[in-house]
Amino acid sequence: MDYLALYVTIKLALVTTVVLMVIAAPIAYLLAYKHFPGKSFVEALIYLPMALPPTVIGFYLILLMGPRGWVGGIWESLTGESLLFTFLGITIASVIYSIPFAVQPMKSAFVKIDRRLLDAAYILGLSKRAAFLRVIIPNSVSGIAASAVLVFLHSIGAFGVLLMVGGSIPGQTKVASIAIYEAVEMMDYSAAGFLALSFIPISYAFLLLVNRLNEDSSI
Amino acid sequence: MKNKRLVLAFILITLMNPFSAAAQERISVAVAANFISAFKEIAADFEKKTGVKVEGTFSSTGNLYSQIKNGAPYDVFLSADEQRPELLQKEGFTEGTFIYARGQTILWSANEDFCKASTWKDALKNDKIKKIAIANPLTAPYGASAKAALQNAGLWEELQSKLINGQDIAQAFQYASTRAVDAGFCALSATSSPHGKVGCFYYIPEAPAIVQAGCILKRTKNKIGAELFMHYMMSDPTALVKKKHGYR
Repeated sequence: MDYLALYVTIKLALVTTVVLMVIAAPIAYLLAYKHFPGKSFVEALIYLPMALPPTVIGFYLILLMGPRGWVGGIWESLTGESLLFTFLGITIASVIYSIPFAVQPMKSAFVKIDRRLLDAAYILGLSKRAAFLRVIIPNSVSGIAASAVLVFLHSIGAFGVLLMVGGSIPGQTKVASIAIYEAVEMMDYSAAGFLALSFIPISYAFLLLVNRLNEDSSI
Repeated sequence: MKNKRLVLAFILITLMNPFSAAAQERISVAVAANFISAFKEIAADFEKKTGVKVEGTFSSTGNLYSQIKNGAPYDVFLSADEQRPELLQKEGFTEGTFIYARGQTILWSANEDFCKASTWKDALKNDKIKKIAIANPLTAPYGASAKAALQNAGLWEELQSKLINGQDIAQAFQYASTRAVDAGFCALSATSSPHGKVGCFYYIPEAPAIVQAGCILKRTKNKIGAELFMHYMMSDPTALVKKKHGYR
């Protein structure tokens, strides 16, 4: 079995999840509590990756991160390396690809928090930052966990974007979903079968977990 | 608390890359899809003899070419044509090209009855043939060769509605081998694989011969390993392997 591909998949999903939790929390907070002009436009923009074909995301990322794209160009002038076809490159792709799945559940968890709790916190003199860390986060743990699990699952399942942005370089960008595709193409059905089979219990267990978390947060 | 620590330890271990230790002793090769089985055998022999680890990435020639132009970190490119390595030379990605194999386009079917016609053209004209796989002529040299043969035979327009495009030659063969299509334009090399032995095929005299060239990319960080591999590709022991896989 292609353990290396499985390893890259798990590593990518974990890194994506950690990065997205940090990025998504402030975005979800803004969307849940702040009112500003053009908010619905911003919100739609953040959910856009969910509604686009992965090849569209892949295409723009190639333009952006390629040697002549501005992100790729800056990166190459700094490090002398290409950004496409590296683990960092597919991590960026995966973060963008999964951002809606991080923000959405977190935002709805934040919205559900009893306003009176927050009001009490402010009256007791907590700053906005302290209230966020000590009231909002602890009271929406299950929502945050649900968003982490969804991001993890969605990253495991990514295929088209990663194939376009990462190629299929063993140990770097060849994730399990790509390894399965290639094994099928080469008619190595036993290799494809073992990898494919390893997805089912993982994804199923995590989905059960999401359901459990959602039930917790609705009580 | 103990659980949390375990999870953290697991994450840390996973994130540390255990595969970077011998980075110097490895080369990454972009391989055109028709050459996969021969490449795997050659790479395994090469690893045994030199200790340099060879990693292959397989796709259509056109796809690999555009990846290289976008900065993909391959050390060696084994193309299925001469044209793209030469383009890379013109564009400054490589200093020179070498020819490592000559391949041939065939028309293959999993169904033995398919080969009872007198020529490949007659076989395709049969009404029972509904779908024919071909590798994408724009990105796969074997697809382009098959297209040229069909045009030469005056069948290109006529068979348009029956042609199914594969991403690369491996996928065209996969469609044919799994009987998803009635026949497919494949590489002669496919017939030496276990799946390829089950069917039958026609040679296609009209299809231009495929001259497969390769090159070492300038950006390589392991020039010695890449050059070693190039020389090995051209050596006598590999000539036998190539012959066995249907190349000249």
